[in-house]
Amino acid sequence: MYRNAIILLAGLVLPSLAFAQANAKVPDPDPELERKTFILPEGFEVNLYAADPLLAKPIQMNFDPQGRLWVASSETYPQIKPGQKANDKVIILEDTDGDGKADKTTVFADGLLIPTGIEPGDGGAYVANSTELVHLSASKPGGKADRSRVVLSGFGTEDTHHILHTFRWGPEGNLYFNQSIYIHSHIETPHGVKHLNGGGIWRFRPESMEMDVFVRGFVNTWGHHFDRWGQSLISDGAYGEGVNHGVPGAYFVTAVGGTRLMKGLNPGSPKHCGLEIVSGRHLPDDWQGNVIMNDFRGHRVCRFKIGEDGSTFTSREMTEVIKSNHPAFRPIDVKMGPDGAIYIADWYNPIIQHGEVDFRDDRRDHTHGRIWRVTAKRRQLVKKPDLVGAKTPELLEQLKAPEDWTRQNAKRVLKERGAKEVLPALETWVKGLDANDANYEHNLLEALWVYQSFDTAEPKLLNTLLNAKDYHARAAAVRALSLWHARVPNAIELLSVRATDDSPRVRMEAVRALAATNSPAAVAPAFASMDKPVDRTMDYALWLTARDLAPVWMPKFQAGEDVFGGNVKGLTFALEAVGTKDVAKPLRAMLESKKLPKDRESAVWALLARVGGPKDLVFVLNQGVFAIDTDAHRNTVMAALEDNARRNKIVLKESDGANFEKLWGSYPLSSLEAADAAVRLIGLWKAEKFRAVLASRAKEGIRSGFEGLALWGDPASRKLLEDLADPKQTVAIQRHAVIALASLDIVTAASRAATLLETAKPTDDHSEVYQTFLSQKGGSEALAKALVGKKLNTDVAKLGLKAVRSSVQDAKPLSDALTKAGGLTAARSDYSPAEIKAYVEEVLTKGDAARGELVYRRKEATCLACHAIAGAGGQVGPDMTSIGASAQVDYLVESILIPNKAVKEGYHALKIGTKDEKVVVGIKTREADGKIYLRTSEDKEIAIAEKDIEDKSQSRSLMPDGLADQLTRQELVDLVRFMSEMGKQGPYAPNKARFIRRWQVLEPSKENVFQLQRASAAKTVENPEAFVWTSTYTKVSGEFPLDTLPKLVVWTGSEPFGIVRAQLDVTTGGKVKLKIDGATGLALWVGNAPVEVKNETVLDLKPGLQTLTFSVNLTSRKEGFRVELEDVAGSPARVNIVTGK
Amino acid sequence: MRLVRVFPFLLLLLSGSTPAAPVEFKPSDRLVLIGGTLVEREQRYGYWETMLADRYPGLKVRNLGWSGDNVTGEARRAFDLGDPNIGRKRLVDLALAEKPTVILICYGANEAFEGQAGLENFKKGYEKLLDELAPAKARMILLSPAPLEDKGRPLPDPSLQNQRLAIYRDAIKQIAEARKLTFADLFQVLGEGKAPLKDLTDNGLHFTGAGYKETASAFAAALGFTDGAFSDGMEKARQAIVAKNQLYFYKWRPQNETYLTGFRKHEQGRNAKEVAEYDPLVAELESQIEKLLKK
Repeated sequence: MYRNAIILLAGLVLPSLAFAQANAKVPDPDPELERKTFILPEGFEVNLYAADPLLAKPIQMNFDPQGRLWVASSETYPQIKPGQKANDKVIILEDTDGDGKADKTTVFADGLLIPTGIEPGDGGAYVANSTELVHLSASKPGGKADRSRVVLSGFGTEDTHHILHTFRWGPEGNLYFNQSIYIHSHIETPHGVKHLNGGGIWRFRPESMEMDVFVRGFVNTWGHHFDRWGQSLISDGAYGEGVNHGVPGAYFVTAVGGTRLMKGLNPGSPKHCGLEIVSGRHLPDDWQGNVIMNDFRGHRVCRFKIGEDGSTFTSREMTEVIKSNHPAFRPIDVKMGPDGAIYIADWYNPIIQHGEVDFRDDRRDHTHGRIWRVTAKRRQLVKKPDLVGAKTPELLEQLKAPEDWTRQNAKRVLKERGAKEVLPALETWVKGLDANDANYEHNLLEALWVYQSFDTAEPKLLNTLLNAKDYHARAAAVRALSLWHARVPNAIELLSVRATDDSPRVRMEAVRALAATNSPAAVAPAFASMDKPVDRTMDYALWLTARDLAPVWMPKFQAGEDVFGGNVKGLTFALEAVGTKDVAKPLRAMLESKKLPKDRESAVWALLARVGGPKDLVFVLNQGVFAIDTDAHRNTVMAALEDNARRNKIVLKESDGANFEKLWGSYPLSSLEAADAAVRLIGLWKAEKFRAVLASRAKEGIRSGFEGLALWGDPASRKLLEDLADPKQTVAIQRHAVIALASLDIVTAASRAATLLETAKPTDDHSEVYQTFLSQKGGSEALAKALVGKKLNTDVAKLGLKAVRSSVQDAKPLSDALTKAGGLTAARSDYSPAEIKAYVEEVLTKGDAARGELVYRRKEATCLACHAIAGAGGQVGPDMTSIGASAQVDYLVESILIPNKAVKEGYHALKIGTKDEKVVVGIKTREADGKIYLRTSEDKEIAIAEKDIEDKSQSRSLMPDGLADQLTRQELVDLVRFMSEMGKQGPYAPNKARFIRRWQVLEPSKENVFQLQRASAAKTVENPEAFVWTSTYTKVSGEFPLDTLPKLVVWTGSEPFGIVRAQLDVTTGGKVKLKIDGATGLALWVGNAPVEVKNETVLDLKPGLQTLTFSVNLTSRKEGFRVELEDVAGSPARVNIVTGK
Repeated sequence: MRLVRVFPFLLLLLSGSTPAAPVEFKPSDRLVLIGGTLVEREQRYGYWETMLADRYPGLKVRNLGWSGDNVTGEARRAFDLGDPNIGRKRLVDLALAEKPTVILICYGANEAFEGQAGLENFKKGYEKLLDELAPAKARMILLSPAPLEDKGRPLPDPSLQNQRLAIYRDAIKQIAEARKLTFADLFQVLGEGKAPLKDLTDNGLHFTGAGYKETASAFAAALGFTDGAFSDGMEKARQAIVAKNQLYFYKWRPQNETYLTGFRKHEQGRNAKEVAEYDPLVAELESQIEKLLKK
């Protein structure tokens, strides 16, 4: 019948085909042509299950227990037009004859507005409909919905690709649904108003209207499912960390209120939409438990193998389920079907950008859509079970099925049959279970979930499962108890036992469940879990719990009560987590008691330094600073003390009892950072007796001396700074002085700076001078004024312009002044549509991607400084892994020429003016604890307290203007061609191989060569901190080209070599393999132990951060190299490659 | 057939135990409705509005209800979480732009969950809202929240919340009296949680379509009309009113606001002009409604 449908379709889409010829971007919509582009692994095939015109623009789909596929679809997306009637649909697709193709289509509902979520159940279906979650049902079985009940309302609609979506029944009968970053929802329930600002996943029980937020954050999370044991796995369509583990209550990226974030399992991964877990007899054993997610930008349906890793998981990308180069193939949802096959919803659209491309752009497709079905060749399909017709005892037997689909849908049918009918049968079924069955405990868990779906607490079964042999079952039982704690009398006692369980997964769940009790009695048991090993995710769970329970333990601690049961480690951990308020008294009492274990003492000193009043700081200075065990801890304590003094304007005097002689008399502080903090305090506290210390430090050119003078700020300090800013001084001293002076007298500082720049050479690095003026209110204007009439070296002026651009502030007067002073011509800031079009043409006809990659990698192009590929590179701008598969060429050209025209979500900069006259620009990463966190263009994250903010305004894109000015036309064309190939099938496709992509190299700087002269190359692994390392990145292919490796020649005439290193993050120790293409000229150290380099080098790694350092003999080696991380069969090792900047 | 149910306290009203001067509307009035879910969902069912429009053909109603909202306009803050006044400012700006002659406000249902502890803030917030709406020089009607219906377990027992609602109702009444504004006591008309309600809601809290239909008379009684109700003859007009409300909703609360008027307006702001195109569509439906009701 599809042949007919296609013929029919050809008539319908004729105008679109005509357009297709005029614009190569809109493809021929024949599904068979699309199918032919699909590449599947050996032994798999794909067929068309359903297509337009039977359905258009599918968004979410879910099967009902009868095996019918419910699809929410929208032709209205992205924005309804005035006068247009909202007529989006929910359709039901059915394969009645079992041939793998839908042969019956029912329009279940129409008249909807962009329905983005659908889940059948409770006699109809739950549907996301803009601001409302509605339940639609038909009064006639099999008929069209004629009843609509508003279940919840108040969901935000600030962005129609973020609105309420991703409906899923949990294994325990709750309905889960998601909203994304721009959405703010306020939902009235009979239990009170529930709020979720920003992204997150809701958990909702329809019959009782209980509702809470399960996890928070994400950018655009369109995938969520539960594994066989009820653990949540989550995908994000706009954030590249692959599979995410949903620890209850966790904050993920962008979460409002999250000061610490949970990370995904595949950092640097492309972004994915939809998430399904493979299970069932139709698919091969090695696919069981795999996660399937869609890289809809890169036209790929991806597969990930999930492994256990302590309290969390590992996730590894495997061969794709489908890859394609069809520009409109947009897999966005994926579900296992009743026959054990994989069903994929294909949104079918050449345009996927929501905001960046005009809502009314003609290339947006509104009429097509497909459902694909992937099966394994020569393997039996699963016989579709008859769940609706089954008797209750038969249904219960289905809870033993190997297919998650069958068990989940059986539970749905049981739930709808009601407790009265099901619970007695369930009790009998549980009694009859065979305790020797390998799946016995899982069968019990399914029973527990049925009880949960009726919200009937069942302490006996719960207790059996809390003591199960399989830790997965224990963890799931703990989760159930977290929802039943109020109804199970000894809940805290039961959870306490599990908080010190042998399994880290169970401990993690127990710690989170204890938080849910909201009881002071839960505090000591939760932190008693720290007696067992604490892995990273467990550490995060403890951090969450410390904060969740703070309202119940903090007042008691402040009142002097020992709520942590003598557990100092737990207490200091919790205090650090909460951020400590009004706890100076009990902290001081702890230190004075001298009973603290040595390894926790410095943490308590640091806490007291951070929160104490004047008397406490005297105590810290006199008793703490010099008694602390290590320099690192001393630095932390002094930094906390300085920060506290500056923030709270605390001034200490010798008459207060502070031992200043010891602090400043003879520089006894061995470590540099602590000493610098101490020197600044002289200025802050105006310690007259030690004024000379400041002056002498400044004259030595030591920065803290200048900072101290600026903090002091009296006429004498100002005079000294002015003297030091005189051209007679060295350039370095002048620079420090100008920077310090700027905070006291911006006009004088500007005039001195102009003089300094006038005589500057292109080799002088004055970028900090510009930053100083740009980050101060009125600063850039003052400098612009001071530059009037000055003449600058052309290259000095260019460097100045670069500094101004990278500050991404609107500092036109300063740019103009520099342009004039340097005799330069002004940068272009506007391009006509015709010019853009000409570029687009050239990209398609003359662009060369290989040459473009070289342009991209050039240091001067600065692409790598802000953008990562597969997670390796700067984090300021969006990751480029799939940019070509998602963005149109015109968008790419414009983004480079006019960066501020269209900006990716989450990359809009915010400009903050502070009360102390500073200006900070950056991308808001999150807002929490009264602070705004910004990522600056230098890729640094800084926190600004709301109370210190004077004004906020939207700023431009952090991508500076004028980047294209340094490129020739052909270079720009090549660059865009390269970007447009990124993520498409071919040499620039996403690669699942785990290459080390971020390397750190030693530049042949004076300092580095000096260090090398003092010792051999082995010094770099013995004392890596003595060297300055610079990040560099491989090509898309994973190759580290030797021309990017700085050549080190230690003595004149000695053999040139290079040093590169990379880091591995080992969460579980064990053996891993490095695949290296050719050992020639390579030597390797792991940590500081030398290891012989082979093409396949097996390493036995300990947990923690491990550094691999290679020295490369540049005489014997001419070829670049690739290093790939691989598993060793049977090894427990869990290792991630450290990426980022 | 009249589908009107006579509520017990409505009888009391009819017997004259609570003298309330009826609110008078003029057909030329522009009525703006403000509140949380109770107000917002009225626009999708339209029974209360139809009852009023039938009495005063030509009356223009603009529903600015927003689910989950409170006197501070919390649900309207969107991205500006750091600014406690922005939600109310947006609400007031929208309301004033409609040049209302009458404003009906219904808050308190959400704040009441905080009980006595939240009462002072509620009163302060309410006063502030009234101050800021004053430039409209409109007649104000302060409508109390409705009591909750007991739908049995597993939904919560509403008796505690009904007690709290009574306290909030009293507070609103005091504010109305002090400012000499009309107070409409829907809470009392519907039995104050003491007389059981039946089949008005499906979750205890929010009226269903049938609930709005049934309570049109209670709403009328709260406004002081003893003879207001929805009758079947108004159904055609009601459907037109619901359609008009939908168009108006698209206008004042469009999807994708982030791109139309928000911080990404430089990308799609050119499409923001579309929302004004709803005005003539709303006006056209309104003239149809007037005709339907005058017949």
